[in-house]
Amino acid sequence: MSALGKVVRSGVGRRRVQTLVMALTTFTAVLSSVLSLGLLTAVQAPFEHAFTTRDGAHLAVQFDGSKVTAVQTTATAHVAGVTEAAGPYPIAAALDTTVGTDCPKTDWAGHDNHPITVTTRPDLGSTSGMDQLVLTQGRWPTSPGEIALPANNYADACFGSSVVFSSLPGKPSFKVVGFADSVTNSATGFATADGFARLTTAGATTDEQMLYRFARAGTDADIATDKQAVAAAVPAGAVEDGQSYLTAEQQATGNAKAFVPFLIAFGILGLVLSVLIIAIVVSGAVASGIRRIGILKSLGFTPSQVARAYTAQAMIPATLGVVLGTVFGNLAAGPILNGASEQLGAASATIPFWVSAVVSLGTLLIVGVTASIPALRAGRMPAVQALVVSRAPKAGRGQTAQRLASRLPLPRAMSLGLAQPFARPARAVLVGAAVLLGTVSVTFAVGLGTAFSKYQATTMSSGFNVASDIVIPTADVGAPWGLYGPNDPRHAYLDATKVAAALAKVPGTKAAFGWGDSGATLVGAPIGGEPPVLYTVSGDFSWTNMQLLSGRWYSAPGEAVVGDKLASAVGIRVGDDVTVVQQNKQVSLKVVGINFDTHGSDYTAMTDAATFTAAGLTPRIDQFNVELASNANGTDWSTAATAALTPLNASVQSNSSDTNLLVIIMGTLVAMFTLMLTVVAALGVLSMVVQDTRERVHDLGIFKALGMTPRQTVAMVLTSVALTGLIAGLVGVPLGVVVEKATQAPMGHAIGRHLPPSVTHVYTAGLLLPLLAAGVVIALLGALLPAGWAARSRTATALRAE
Amino acid sequence: MTNAPMIDVREATKKYDDGPPALAGVNLSVASGDCVAILGHSGSGKSTLLNLIAGLDKPSSGSVTVDGTRVDQLGEAGSAKYRRASIGMIFQFFNLLDDLTVLDNVMVPAQLAGMGKGEAKRRAVELLGSLGIERHVKAYPQRLSGGERQRVAVARALMNKPALLLADEPTGALDSSSVEDVRRLLLDLNAEGQTIVLVTHDVQLAATTAHRTIELVDGAVARDVVNSGSGAGLAAAQARR
Repeated sequence: MSALGKVVRSGVGRRRVQTLVMALTTFTAVLSSVLSLGLLTAVQAPFEHAFTTRDGAHLAVQFDGSKVTAVQTTATAHVAGVTEAAGPYPIAAALDTTVGTDCPKTDWAGHDNHPITVTTRPDLGSTSGMDQLVLTQGRWPTSPGEIALPANNYADACFGSSVVFSSLPGKPSFKVVGFADSVTNSATGFATADGFARLTTAGATTDEQMLYRFARAGTDADIATDKQAVAAAVPAGAVEDGQSYLTAEQQATGNAKAFVPFLIAFGILGLVLSVLIIAIVVSGAVASGIRRIGILKSLGFTPSQVARAYTAQAMIPATLGVVLGTVFGNLAAGPILNGASEQLGAASATIPFWVSAVVSLGTLLIVGVTASIPALRAGRMPAVQALVVSRAPKAGRGQTAQRLASRLPLPRAMSLGLAQPFARPARAVLVGAAVLLGTVSVTFAVGLGTAFSKYQATTMSSGFNVASDIVIPTADVGAPWGLYGPNDPRHAYLDATKVAAALAKVPGTKAAFGWGDSGATLVGAPIGGEPPVLYTVSGDFSWTNMQLLSGRWYSAPGEAVVGDKLASAVGIRVGDDVTVVQQNKQVSLKVVGINFDTHGSDYTAMTDAATFTAAGLTPRIDQFNVELASNANGTDWSTAATAALTPLNASVQSNSSDTNLLVIIMGTLVAMFTLMLTVVAALGVLSMVVQDTRERVHDLGIFKALGMTPRQTVAMVLTSVALTGLIAGLVGVPLGVVVEKATQAPMGHAIGRHLPPSVTHVYTAGLLLPLLAAGVVIALLGALLPAGWAARSRTATALRAE
Repeated sequence: MTNAPMIDVREATKKYDDGPPALAGVNLSVASGDCVAILGHSGSGKSTLLNLIAGLDKPSSGSVTVDGTRVDQLGEAGSAKYRRASIGMIFQFFNLLDDLTVLDNVMVPAQLAGMGKGEAKRRAVELLGSLGIERHVKAYPQRLSGGERQRVAVARALMNKPALLLADEPTGALDSSSVEDVRRLLLDLNAEGQTIVLVTHDVQLAATTAHRTIELVDGAVARDVVNSGSGAGLAAAQARR
């Protein structure tokens, strides 16, 4: 081994704690950076690639065929801002379907298959022009009895069997010969012109669809403006619907993209902490090794060799951290990416190689530059100066602080410690910065974790999920959920009036309300993603703590409240009218409020059952949620309720709510990163205090010779970081709050939601006050070990140290 | 008054690693009020012996009893409290804390022992006055001469009224006039009844300051003689008469 190699090896070996700290902090920074940048690119890339290569449409507009002519729709291709257009294509929106009974899998045969929006085009398999459809399995339909569907709109096991349009008279049936899709979900069923005619003949309402690309289409606002321009070119009310590519993108990438904002925050915090720790450790190594540097130079080491020796001492652990961080980042990304890639039909869910390369090399470059600054200083240091310079702080520093501290009514050991940071202010600033970053991480993470918990609670324990007991049709007890679609005559419903009356008579019932999927479709709702649901509700649900974001709850027939995600996707605002269709009967509803509802489906709306009754539609109630009086005995109530409800073909069941896996994964990641960053911050403090203790070992010897007990020594060392920790904590908490707020909004946006104050307002006084102590706690945790070492140091040896 | 010695070292041996012992079966007895010089070359074991007496180190075998306390059996906290209560130490390089004023340096041992700030200050000023350096109370140690610094160190050592003053090469870093200054100070303290153990390699200092000189060679007592002509020896002789 070369002389330089031996110097590096001995340096790494002598500073094991600092080496570990550098490896860990680099690992944390790289892990979070690889995850965040990797997820961002891996999630975004498949959609962007598909959108580009398939010439995806920015907007797919559906025109009411009864209000507009083909000439008028074709003319919209020349509206200002339109750069490319295709169509018009006939389209039949949101037709209820079931899996045909010819499906060999009995679990699926006859099962509800959700609504499908069918279109036809002159050449379904065209590989040119806008919105090229892609076949992922089978073939394109060639006869009137065949159809192609997106893979996620039909059971794999039933491929080759039929799909039945169950709500159309005569229930026309098509053989599924291919799995195919549009990148922007412009439609979810593709038939030949003759096949489409079968649907029209059977009674499906046919509209016209135009596809557009615009000069400006980067944001929801751009798309809304573009849509208005198209709508202005046709008779009023002719535009029924406009499907934005941004909604399709959100559907494809939403859950995985929700990870990105907080991972970016942790990545930045980790990287800054990494740079700080490396600066601390290498500067410390140079400062405490000045005499050693002098010896090396007197032995003939060149300035360049000295600089390289000290840079290498940081690069070795940093490289280890980079390698491990990259490997674990790639491994951790797998489960998160799987969902997104499946939706887009991508072959694999892996982080692109260039992300790992860029993060690794970038981190090593930053570490190298950070380490080389003090290392070059060491290299340039004259040998004589290095040999004679003392390691002790320059005389005069901290004297004023010591004088002032001695006046404080504190035990002397503590007042001595309190003044110590002022002897080395630069070092105190570095300790403070490490604690600050740790406090920011803790505050940020606690806020985010609390928000996750509140989101989980809001999702799982309020609104339609509230209550410990529910009432469902007896026929549904034990039956697979969703066996029959809401419009399927075999679907069992409750007699809402009778069940409500029966429940009211059961002793212990405090409140109850009934609800169910009406089976109605909302004109203009997103075609892709989860099917939109309009709930019909009976009774008072004010006790369920359902969240209203704007407007008010409906109070009269004809009014509706729309879920925030549906409102965002379609651009619905309070005061707008929406059209609802149930088995070819339609009614217009006035939107009076936007609510936060994460139950069941992404896209929801709700209205009173009386609205449907008044409009001649059928409200459907298949569940009652019951609130028991506080003094009610659950078993007694259940027995009495069962007796009262059995004659009504209704059964009492205990309510169960699933946990949100996404939130759990996020919470786990947040906890993991927080723990790592806090440990790294504390280790940064530890590293500095170790160095400080080594340099002050002679002073410690004097104190101990003068009768300072081990306990007093520990108190002195701990006090030396307490003030720095306190100040860093006081600054770090508001910064952590800012980071959390800056992260929360994009996370909500990524999942297409406006989070309610009950979720976003997390920093209560009860949470903030303990957080203010986080800085002191991190500083004390970091100083505890070296304080113990200081207390145990041999006084005789310490006194000899100069 | 009992006849028990102030310091009683029995068969004290101190070994470091596998090398020869730093101290090999040393026996030493020092009476209260004595001033004893321990003489020896570098590596002879004199500082090790001083460290054992001060409770800064423990013997590998043997016992060290000071003022009735088995110092070798004390734990870390016990040793600290013992040093606080019974020992005052002065060093070759003074070991003053550069970022504390002279007054604060002197007050530290009393404050660590829990003495009130006012009382500690009163005592420190009184001590500095008696040592003739009261004008430097607000100064920092670096601004003082070597002799003045050693006087501050002595004041600090006497702050808790220790039974025993241990001086480790107290003149090793001083010029000749300061050496005499410190020598007279030690003589005066001893004349007032202060027990002193002085470690030095300066034969002249030992002969003129202590009434008894113990010479260590390779960790063992090679010579133990009474300096009848020394200042301390004369003072001790007068006191005995």
